Amino acid sequence: MAMEGTISAEHLVKVYDGKIRAVDDVSFEVKAGEVFGFLGPNGAGKTTTVSMLSAGLRPTSGRAVIDGLEVGADPEEVKRRIGVIFQETTADGDLTGLENLEIAAGCYGIPVAEGRARAKVLIEQMQLTEAADRYAKTYSGGMRRRLELAVGLVHNPRVLFLDEPTLGLDPQGRAGFWDFIQKLKKENGMTVFVTTHYLDEADGMCDRIAIIDHGKIVATGTPNELKDRVGGDVVTLKTGTGAAEITTLLQGLPGVHSIQHTDGSYRAKVQSGETFVPLAVDTATRAGVGVTGVTVKRPSLDEVFLDFTGREYREEEGPNATDRAVMMNRVRGALRR
Amino acid sequence: MLRELAALTRREYLKLARNPQAIFTSLLLPLLYLLLFGQGFHISLTSFSLPGAPPPTPATIAAFNLAYFRGAPDYYSYFAAGMVGFVAVTATLFIGANVIFDKLFGIFKRTRGTPAPSAAVFGSRLIAGATQPIAYAFFVLGLALVFAHVPGLAGLTVTAPITVVSVLEIVVAIVLLSLMFATLFLTFGILLEVPQTYFAAVNLLNLPVLLTSDALYPWGSMPQWLRNVSQYNPVSLAVNVIRETLFGSSAYPYGPGIYLLGLLAWTVVLIGIAIFFVRRALRPLE
Repeated sequence: MAMEGTISAEHLVKVYDGKIRAVDDVSFEVKAGEVFGFLGPNGAGKTTTVSMLSAGLRPTSGRAVIDGLEVGADPEEVKRRIGVIFQETTADGDLTGLENLEIAAGCYGIPVAEGRARAKVLIEQMQLTEAADRYAKTYSGGMRRRLELAVGLVHNPRVLFLDEPTLGLDPQGRAGFWDFIQKLKKENGMTVFVTTHYLDEADGMCDRIAIIDHGKIVATGTPNELKDRVGGDVVTLKTGTGAAEITTLLQGLPGVHSIQHTDGSYRAKVQSGETFVPLAVDTATRAGVGVTGVTVKRPSLDEVFLDFTGREYREEEGPNATDRAVMMNRVRGALRR
Repeated sequence: MLRELAALTRREYLKLARNPQAIFTSLLLPLLYLLLFGQGFHISLTSFSLPGAPPPTPATIAAFNLAYFRGAPDYYSYFAAGMVGFVAVTATLFIGANVIFDKLFGIFKRTRGTPAPSAAVFGSRLIAGATQPIAYAFFVLGLALVFAHVPGLAGLTVTAPITVVSVLEIVVAIVLLSLMFATLFLTFGILLEVPQTYFAAVNLLNLPVLLTSDALYPWGSMPQWLRNVSQYNPVSLAVNVIRETLFGSSAYPYGPGIYLLGLLAWTVVLIGIAIFFVRRALRPLE
């Protein structure tokens, strides 16, 4: 019983084409009733991980246990216990919202009358009552995401997987969607596993976060724990290009944890930004380096990401090697057939 | 399993009902064949009579019809029965394409994300996919019968006594032929990912299957080798049943039951092959 609603990934590995390690030895635990964020840029391995956890993809090695059941041993039973909201739209545009839900309920073996009743409740909960009898293809982006969520909840799952659920939504749509998720957590105690590349979403909505990059988990913790690990304030000093290197000088100032020098700027993790800035500007000026700009920030998840991966976080990245490999794999598969 | 099958079948019928254009265009093809192709090729022994020559005797006409049209009274009647088989095949051509488009639009992924068994996923599409050709086949049969009563048009003339059993034989032949080709093309749709590959494969198969049958050619004008090939063709087997039922059995070496058995064997074999491939393609974990 202690396993109810939990998610466990143990050394999950997925290798495409025998050489592309899309997911590389990923392990974590999600407690029942938790909203767990899986944060990473496009192509980091988030969707592949969700596919392995939600009985859609066989791992190359490792194992996943959902709600006490090993995914590889009984994938169909796992599918009964989980809801999955895919990254792409999967509701049938030629059916009405209500029909989409009724048919989804039937796919879980729910009797017709019960499925219809459940569909009506969900339509109401998702504020789609007015549009219930309209074809899904006439829905706005936000309405379609809410319909997707309703479809994923039609069988009362214990665990809900959301793969980039707010992709393509405007800020208002994203906020509205997250309100529903928070409500679900509060009212049903459902375990929610959500992948996102929006840092603000992960920061504000998740109880705990795992940061994944290049298929590996680089950090796990609550948003505050992760920020605390970065420590103090983050000060960025902009200098002219070609200016002399002053990393060593800055490093010697009091309260400095670390200094990174990139592209004509210095990023310093310091005890106190207020104390550090005048000293740093003075030091730079004495060394003949003009300071053209200064920013002081409390650490955000951007900083956390930068700290753990050594590079800036970009929300919109093009297809990476994994995506290309998967695409090529599909094309080759199709040609072989 | 039954609930999942019922839900998914309902979806297929809802989609079909919401696309009347597809139904209309599917009916247009056999209609054009019946109205143009069949009328243009409509021949009987009297078509060949020279001016001034004595008209052929009923015995000569009967012998000609037996040799050329396997007992049908004229080409149009022979052809109309063949068109029933032709339509049962052509109406199944796009059933697999719908699966591919559902994959491209993410709808198939949703279904695969549920615990609905692969038999329900396949079966629902097969039921809905086979219903259309069955309906179209009876539409062709009915229309050809009506044409026989329209002045200036050739139509289907039935010369054998129709009984409940013979009607049932026609129904079983059409159902088996439709099921068989629906299974085949649906399997293509499940296995393939790209629409162009699907259409290329279907076209590659469709023409040889139809052109090695005796659905459209007069039996008497077919070379022996083509007759030999066509006797194993499932379309010919179904058409034989229909023609025997409508025009009598004297031109056929076997009764309808044997042809139905042959058709059943084809259907069972194809369904067996489909189960093998579809179970692999739709296994719970990819």
